[in-house]
Amino acid sequence: MPKENKVLYDANSKIPSEEFTLVHESASIHDAKFETKPVGWLKDSMSRFAKNKMSVIAAVILALIALFAIIVPLASPKSRVSGKDFPSGFQDSKFAEVLPRLSHNMPFWNGTKVVTIGENDYQLHQYDDSNYQKYTLISKQTLGNPVIGFRTVYKVREDTYAVGVSSGIKVNKAYYDELVAYEAKKGISMSTDFDKNLHRSILKPQIDYKSYVEGELVTLLTAEGVSPDSITSIQDKMKNYYHNAENAYIYYKLFPAKRGEEYVDTSFVPYLNNEGKIEDIYVRDTDNKLVYYTYENGEYSIRVDYYDYFTYRYGFKNNYLLGSNNFGQDILLRLAKGTRFSLLLGIGVSLINFIIGLIWGAVSGYYGGKVDLIMERVTDIIANVPTIIIMSIASIQLTNNMAGAGAVVLSFLIAFVYNGWVGVASTTRMQFYRFKGQEYVLASRTLGAKDRRLIFKHILPNAAGTLVTASVLMIPGIIFSESSLSYLGIVDFTSSGIDTIGVLLKEGQSVIKSSPHVLISPVIFIAILMICFNLFGNGLRDAFNTTLRGSED
Amino acid sequence: MRNVKETLKYILKRVLLMVVTFLVIFVISFALIRALPLNFSGGSGTDEMKFYMQQVAIGRMYEKNGKFYENPIPVQFFNFLKNLFNPYTYTDPESGITQVASRWGYSYKVEAGLTADQVLFRHLAPTVVINIYSSLFSVPCGIGLGIFMALKKNKWQDNVLSVVIMLFISVPSFVDAFLLQYLLGYHWEILPPSVASLTENGIFSPVMFQSMILPVLAMSLGSIAGYARYTRAELTEVLTSDFMLLARTKGLRRSQATVRHALRNSMVPIFPMILGEVISVLSGSVIIEQIFTVNGVGGIYLDSINSRDLDVFQFVSMFYILIGLVGSLVVDISYGIVDPRIRMGGGKDNA
Repeated sequence: MPKENKVLYDANSKIPSEEFTLVHESASIHDAKFETKPVGWLKDSMSRFAKNKMSVIAAVILALIALFAIIVPLASPKSRVSGKDFPSGFQDSKFAEVLPRLSHNMPFWNGTKVVTIGENDYQLHQYDDSNYQKYTLISKQTLGNPVIGFRTVYKVREDTYAVGVSSGIKVNKAYYDELVAYEAKKGISMSTDFDKNLHRSILKPQIDYKSYVEGELVTLLTAEGVSPDSITSIQDKMKNYYHNAENAYIYYKLFPAKRGEEYVDTSFVPYLNNEGKIEDIYVRDTDNKLVYYTYENGEYSIRVDYYDYFTYRYGFKNNYLLGSNNFGQDILLRLAKGTRFSLLLGIGVSLINFIIGLIWGAVSGYYGGKVDLIMERVTDIIANVPTIIIMSIASIQLTNNMAGAGAVVLSFLIAFVYNGWVGVASTTRMQFYRFKGQEYVLASRTLGAKDRRLIFKHILPNAAGTLVTASVLMIPGIIFSESSLSYLGIVDFTSSGIDTIGVLLKEGQSVIKSSPHVLISPVIFIAILMICFNLFGNGLRDAFNTTLRGSED
Repeated sequence: MRNVKETLKYILKRVLLMVVTFLVIFVISFALIRALPLNFSGGSGTDEMKFYMQQVAIGRMYEKNGKFYENPIPVQFFNFLKNLFNPYTYTDPESGITQVASRWGYSYKVEAGLTADQVLFRHLAPTVVINIYSSLFSVPCGIGLGIFMALKKNKWQDNVLSVVIMLFISVPSFVDAFLLQYLLGYHWEILPPSVASLTENGIFSPVMFQSMILPVLAMSLGSIAGYARYTRAELTEVLTSDFMLLARTKGLRRSQATVRHALRNSMVPIFPMILGEVISVLSGSVIIEQIFTVNGVGGIYLDSINSRDLDVFQFVSMFYILIGLVGSLVVDISYGIVDPRIRMGGGKDNA
């Protein structure tokens, strides 16, 4: 045993009294003051919510989505275009199904795709007087075998925004003069420098294919030994070809393509002269100046490079961040509007449902007995009629009696409120059953509290967390039903002008094969929205669950 | 069984209650649907006269001086009931054949000329087959996944799968459907993106089966996630309970204890879910059917809404409601039968 200053005593030894000292000789004993701040119910819940990282992230993303839904329709230049040009919101069929593009110069997200095209198509677009090149060559390959013959195909990168030249745009004289002045100021007029501005000018000269097809072409074909019957047929087909609005970019002489030894009237190639160059068919006046317009009924009909003309006319470059649909509407803008509608509908409906369900459930749960039994049977019946039936009936009835957006919104409200509150009611009822028999309620009742006081002062605050969570978790359900109902077309949106995510899905699915981006972006968007709402709701549920208090500390 | 009589009494009570609920819903829906305006607007394949004659035959309209008028809704309902138990006769204006009028009304647009019940039963097969495939696929997969997760609880496998399952539960089924259809159907072209025509192929033909894979997958993903989450929750609870400890101390290996004791007990609340699924194979998912162009009940339902083919709409709606009610009834009752701890019909004091 080590030697120590203190003497060790065993159980039987007697301890001398001087060994004892008083613990609190001088200080008096008080309750220690709390060094921490008191934590209220809300603060406690919030701190528990903040601990759940996923829920916080989901809440942030939801806030961003809400901001997106508010800001984009306000900020997008496309939502501020004049109602005269776009009576039913921004849509430009020239830009139908273009791909997402942030900027022209980026390596990706630039609105291009890789396609394989035939030789004719490639050749024709190579000599194009529009300002943007539609096809950029990647590689060229020859397909076929000696028996059926060879053909060349071109693997190219297609710029979907190169919408080319449009003719027949009607403007008035003042506007035309402004445009000419603008071009002169910018130095991009083709009259001043033809070669340099061929691919820069907005205004393109008028073309005259008739005199070529009826004059020079006949001479050329006859020299090649084509029979007069074939020439007539080629002439007709070629005129149609030039006349086709999609081919407004062709400003040069065409020649029928050759299949074997024969010239065919079904496809055309650029006509190259002896120097191997194309020859334009622009209209020139008596002074040999280019003519830019035709005048008819007080209006100028002009031929323009459509992308640049659009930029000039509306003052912004037409880029679609998420691409456009088959009507040339901006998916991003419509997605934002659809989200705004969905969120408003979801919040509004869950608020209404919350109030109705709360009252119903409180009465049913608090009074119990016969009242409860009858009210339960009523909710049973209401809950069992499928929403889809109520929706259909409401929609059919309302669209028969009123028109426009009101009918759609009202039929949604009726369908979702009709049995949406049943869930809240049953939750409230359960909570009331749980709390109404507890001692504190009994104590309050003994002290003479009225029913109203018991319900609102004592029971409801205890049930608040559960009920709020139930209402928040209702919102994604409503958004989901709304998008499925509008996808299925049970609610008719055609006349209302309302964009919803479901409508976008429906449009997207109709063009899923040719342009999947129309479908993919709303699909991914709604998936993110749902995931975030669920995570957020779950976090809220845990946060309001007081039994978890302090369990993780 | 301790109280077979009590159980039977409870079941009878529930069935009666269900019948009453169904009848009330039926009356409400009948009134609502009959309140919709009836107009013959370009029904294909049926002429206007025939349509009105049919409506007269089922007691919805009456004829006066060669013009047709609608009966008041209570009269319509009375006529409907009379027709139900003692069908009227109806003379086809074209062929002149007199036959018994349909109890459930006639289609005049969706499949003109057929009665509403014929229209429904003609399209039942694809819906049921797809749903059966989906159940056969999703129930074992989901439960298996759930068991795996419960056994690997809080290990990385469990965590990863939990996140995946959370994603699949949150994401609406049509999102899965669209992505599957685009990726497998159109982009990589592995599987046909829409279901083959039933008239050209038999319902069990290989072509049909292949084209049904995508809708079945789309339907199953969400339900697999649901089963997996539920099984995991149940099994982890059972695995930590006292009788498992007892079983282990008795000398059972972990696998023995899990298979013989834990698994069977955890299946108690899952079994009714499966039963519910079996019944709901009849109704199916309208949206999945629409996406993959399944020519099933969902399609008929939508067509009948959009073309205002009200008799078909009413019949299919009632069919859906009945299946929903029977499904929830069976689930409720089977809970009591499978788990003897749940005293059926128990009040507050003996629950």
